[in-house]
Amino acid sequence: MGTMRVKAKLKNGVVNVKAMAKHAMMTYNMAEKKTGSRDNANFITHISASVNGKTVLDMSTSQFLSKNPIFKFQFKGDEFKKGDKLEMKWVDLKGKTGKGKTKIK
Amino acid sequence: MQRRKFLGLTLGALALSAIPAQLAAEDFRKSKPKVWSAHTVDDAIKAMYGSNNLVMEGVKLKAPDVASNGGAIPVSFSTTKDVKTIAVFQDANPEAAVLVVDVNPYSVNNYSVKIKMAKSGTITIVAEGKDGKLYTAKKTLDVALGGCEG
Repeated sequence: MGTMRVKAKLKNGVVNVKAMAKHAMMTYNMAEKKTGSRDNANFITHISASVNGKTVLDMSTSQFLSKNPIFKFQFKGDEFKKGDKLEMKWVDLKGKTGKGKTKIK
Repeated sequence: MQRRKFLGLTLGALALSAIPAQLAAEDFRKSKPKVWSAHTVDDAIKAMYGSNNLVMEGVKLKAPDVASNGGAIPVSFSTTKDVKTIAVFQDANPEAAVLVVDVNPYSVNNYSVKIKMAKSGTITIVAEGKDGKLYTAKKTLDVALGGCEG
């Protein structure tokens, strides 16, 4: 299973999240060049995040995120508190999944 | 008997209330497959929203004027409009779509992400307002070293 590094900080009612998934993000063109077949392309297609079972991020993605994609997002923190667990998940084109979690600081 | 009936009803009500929350998470790769294979930004936007009627306001987009490494171009975008989805497109790669965020009640709609661009081109952010308008921001940038290896 893949991994994802996550940091989350609650400030002024907003949770700031920084996340990095470890993934090659092989595009169709790269796969064709390196392996001779477009079918070897593989990249993260969906990323989601939840706290206490509530979805706070839901994102469909293509091969054009950078290698080891890194991104930041924010969500309203009124219902959440420091110490709550933020869980993130990704799934790639081949069906492999990755997970990451952190406590909101 | 009374109690059993009551429990049954409660469970049913719980199940019903749980469904919308699950439906809220939409996988746009499954529901709108054409968005991801579209070669031009116009086609991708049309496949996603059924319209190309863009309004050039309401979205902030930050990206470098010149990106030295096309493999990881930092892009920040945000909107304060009441929106359903936010999508990122570009015209430098074989396909146009980069990502689509399904906005939820907790979203603040301020994102930063690193993307790949094979050559110089234009990044387009489209935020689909709940009022039906497609709020848009565009930015053209130079890419010194392409990020998709051709």
